[in-house]
Amino acid sequence: MSARFRAAFLLTFAAVVGPLGCSRSITLDVGYPDAGVNRAMLAAARPRRVDIRPVVDRRADTARIGVQRADGDKPIVTSRAVADIVREALVSEVQKNGHAVAADNAELVLAADVDEFWLDAVAAYASVHYVGKVALSVAVVDARTGDTLVTRRYVGIRRQQAKRDDKQAGLEVMDIALSRALHDLATDAELAEAFGARLPRVRHL
Amino acid sequence: MMHAVAVLLVVGALAVSGCASSAPTRPTARPFDDVRRLTVVVSGESQFAVLEHSAEPGRTFDQVLAWNPYGAVLKPIADIVHQVINWFVEIDRKADAAAELRDVSPRALVARAFEETLLASGRFEEIRTLHREPVGDERDRSNVVVRLSVPAWGLVRVREGEPDLLSAFADVRAEMVARDTGVALWKDSEDVTGPERFPLKTFTGDRQLTRQQLLDVLERAGRRLANELLYAQRAGR
Repeated sequence: MSARFRAAFLLTFAAVVGPLGCSRSITLDVGYPDAGVNRAMLAAARPRRVDIRPVVDRRADTARIGVQRADGDKPIVTSRAVADIVREALVSEVQKNGHAVAADNAELVLAADVDEFWLDAVAAYASVHYVGKVALSVAVVDARTGDTLVTRRYVGIRRQQAKRDDKQAGLEVMDIALSRALHDLATDAELAEAFGARLPRVRHL
Repeated sequence: MMHAVAVLLVVGALAVSGCASSAPTRPTARPFDDVRRLTVVVSGESQFAVLEHSAEPGRTFDQVLAWNPYGAVLKPIADIVHQVINWFVEIDRKADAAAELRDVSPRALVARAFEETLLASGRFEEIRTLHREPVGDERDRSNVVVRLSVPAWGLVRVREGEPDLLSAFADVRAEMVARDTGVALWKDSEDVTGPERFPLKTFTGDRQLTRQQLLDVLERAGRRLANELLYAQRAGR
């Protein structure tokens, strides 16, 4: 085999295999845009200094957030680590509600775990039914005493029917599932009370 | 040299004054931010459904028609047959799943959870739920009405597998309207899904579990709608 032929073969091989390698997974840039964040129940508390700890990813499978079965069982992944996506969202919510996020001299510690962050794609006849689920466990701790003030669980789920060739649907579904979990957190009267808000007696449902 | 310094000072002063003169942006108050009294009116029909979004038998029809010279002509007929078969299957499964639910009023349960969540927030002084539009004295107590409906509820397939898994679901809608002007102040639709997943056989075989899952998802739907209203409503400090 001549050197020229070998070079041509390698280039052709790279041209064919390269793109295949690139499309071995489906990457979604899931996020929680700052522009959509509102002041909610957490703003009812006086401004606090909050240490938001690094989020712990407790999912059984941290390598992916789903599998596209209709596409040769391709793994669906996020462009950034799931723990980072969730922490950024928490920082956004806490800051927008008037509190300072800082590790030094913190009054409160907010610790969060990701229990689930998964996108299901259920293939129907002419469409795909996407179901995104985000489950977070959150604890608020008094930074001075170390006492746990509240422990809560938030589950955001989004269902959406989309055309088979809709490339954006999966991303939209995960974005909305995350925002629902965060909205439940931001409007949680018990969490607001742990931040120091004085609310009328909370009626547990 | 002095001339250049003077120009720099003028430019610097203008820049600083420009920054100082721009007032900090304040979020615009929305027309429902100060609403403290609400009348919730439950309305509309609620359809119970078992949504499996099945790919079969349509997918098999497509495979057969791919080899048929009249495939393109027969495709619309195959699509209709696919829909009719799934419609009959759904009716059958709906009857099984809904056997213990005749006394359940989805709209009333969603409205109760909605009301309780809003009251627990401390943002509202008074919330009343009516099953018809307010009349007479009822109209004087609150100028703002939230019309709440549950167009669909039931079970939905949420994961493919052996077996497929289903969850309870409720699709809910709410619209807040200023009664004197008829202007819509806030609107939301939520597809609410139960966090737990079971095979269809579990749902059809254990009616108590099915009932509990459906009651839970309706309550969750009321809370979800209330949370989105609270989230949209600007918090005052």
